[in-house]
Amino acid sequence: MSQSLILEHVGFAYDAAPILQDIQLSIPGGQFVSLLGASGSGKSTLLRLIAGLQTPSHGRLSWNGKNIDGPGLDRGVVFQDYALFPWLSVVDNIAIAIGKARPETRKAERREAAREQLRTVGLASAIGKYPFELSGGMRQRAAIARALAVGSPLLLMDEPFGALDPVNRARLQDLLLEIWEAGSGDETQKKTIVFVTHDVDEALYLGDRVVILGSTPGRVIADLPVEFPRHRDRRTLFDSAAFHTLRESIAETLAADTLRQLVAA
Amino acid sequence: MSAESVPTLSLESPATPAGRAPAAGPARALLTLAEGSAIWLLLLALWFAAAEYFPLGDNPLIPGPQVTARALWESLPELWTGTLSSFSILVPGFLLATGLGIALGIIVGTSPRLQRMFFPFARVVAPVPPTVYIPYAIAILPTFKLSAIFVVFIGAFWPIFHNAAAGAHGLEQRYRDNARILGLNGLEYRWKVVFPSALPHIFSGMAVGLAFSFILLTVAELFGANAGLGRFVQYYADFADYPKMVAGILYTGAITWLAMSGLEALKHRLLFWQR
Repeated sequence: MSQSLILEHVGFAYDAAPILQDIQLSIPGGQFVSLLGASGSGKSTLLRLIAGLQTPSHGRLSWNGKNIDGPGLDRGVVFQDYALFPWLSVVDNIAIAIGKARPETRKAERREAAREQLRTVGLASAIGKYPFELSGGMRQRAAIARALAVGSPLLLMDEPFGALDPVNRARLQDLLLEIWEAGSGDETQKKTIVFVTHDVDEALYLGDRVVILGSTPGRVIADLPVEFPRHRDRRTLFDSAAFHTLRESIAETLAADTLRQLVAA
Repeated sequence: MSAESVPTLSLESPATPAGRAPAAGPARALLTLAEGSAIWLLLLALWFAAAEYFPLGDNPLIPGPQVTARALWESLPELWTGTLSSFSILVPGFLLATGLGIALGIIVGTSPRLQRMFFPFARVVAPVPPTVYIPYAIAILPTFKLSAIFVVFIGAFWPIFHNAAAGAHGLEQRYRDNARILGLNGLEYRWKVVFPSALPHIFSGMAVGLAFSFILLTVAELFGANAGLGRFVQYYADFADYPKMVAGILYTGAITWLAMSGLEALKHRLLFWQR
């Protein structure tokens, strides 16, 4: 086991209000984990802790045996909206990231690498453009291109497709799986992905595993393997009985947690 | 895999900039022009009428339009020399204020400690009207020009510094997160992230600073200049040459407007990424 993301008794409180409580997770390298939860479950906070943007109040996190105590280029992040700097062209947004990851490269090389990365995410048309000239879907593609260009082995995605229309959302989900599965020839090359979402279908379509967070405070209430074979076909999968069974059980888990909260309140 | 390369399938068309008025037809443009010039035309008509139908021609305090226009035409060489003299004070003072105001504003705005040090000081010193420094600056500094530059600098510095610091301080969380994730820090972070994101604020500060600069410049010139726009107006007022004085006022107004428009154009150019 060369790479793994380990969370030990991780807790986080904001102004004495507990947001996350005793999170225990071990994610082996190359796994695609969907982090599912209702709003207020602290799933975005958990992602920010892994990214190193926030420090846990309790417990510790480590990636590849290294303690996480701040952001690092060994972890790429894609946010829901506008992860790009609007004053830089799309190419320069990616080139600036490449410059930090590989400082020895020259400016022209970085730009060429950025253009190449844009082509691999189907965004050749964005070369020479600024973020404000792109649609939401194109911007998220560019954000993914930037995260890939850095070459981080761990990709953290915070509802990256949450603001997109259903058609674009499906296309970007497929793109993400395509990129991730392309690394599967060599297991060491395969990226580890933690994907935050509140959409059950999205979590099941993408993930090897669904970790469900309950609310107030956020804690793991279920951790389920998703064993549908890879190179999944959206339509066949969504029509299958196995998918429905899993989907129902997750819906029940979430509903039970909501009920528990109501009773508590 | 690249759906964007197939035009017929391209659902993700580039976003059209929102909020822009639809393409204006010639009638619309004409109306806009009429609306924009209505007050000017009205004032001009009143001025003509007053000069024509009231004995204003005899009143040396209110010269009519033709008299003023002739005075303006005759004074153009002198006004041009005055403009050069005024700008040799305004430009260095304003540019120095812009450079230092932006640099210090961004350094202070990104450091909580420097904010705690600077802001209480700035709160006391910034509101002091810079005009009160003029006599002392003239007494202390070796030349009038240096003291005027200093006063323009002081007047323009505070609004620019204040806005740059506020812009840097108010950097949006998502840009800050973004910079941290990419490992941008130090000077690179301030230059590539903080500065561009604070530019809208900085331009507001520069507009206030430039307006202040013109006020301070013309006031300073009343004290000890031997040339310049403010000096021109004061000089002909002393001789009760009101046509030239009014011409000087109109000319100074036009120059100020040109300078402000230039700044506005620069802002428009540099902030193209803002919708």
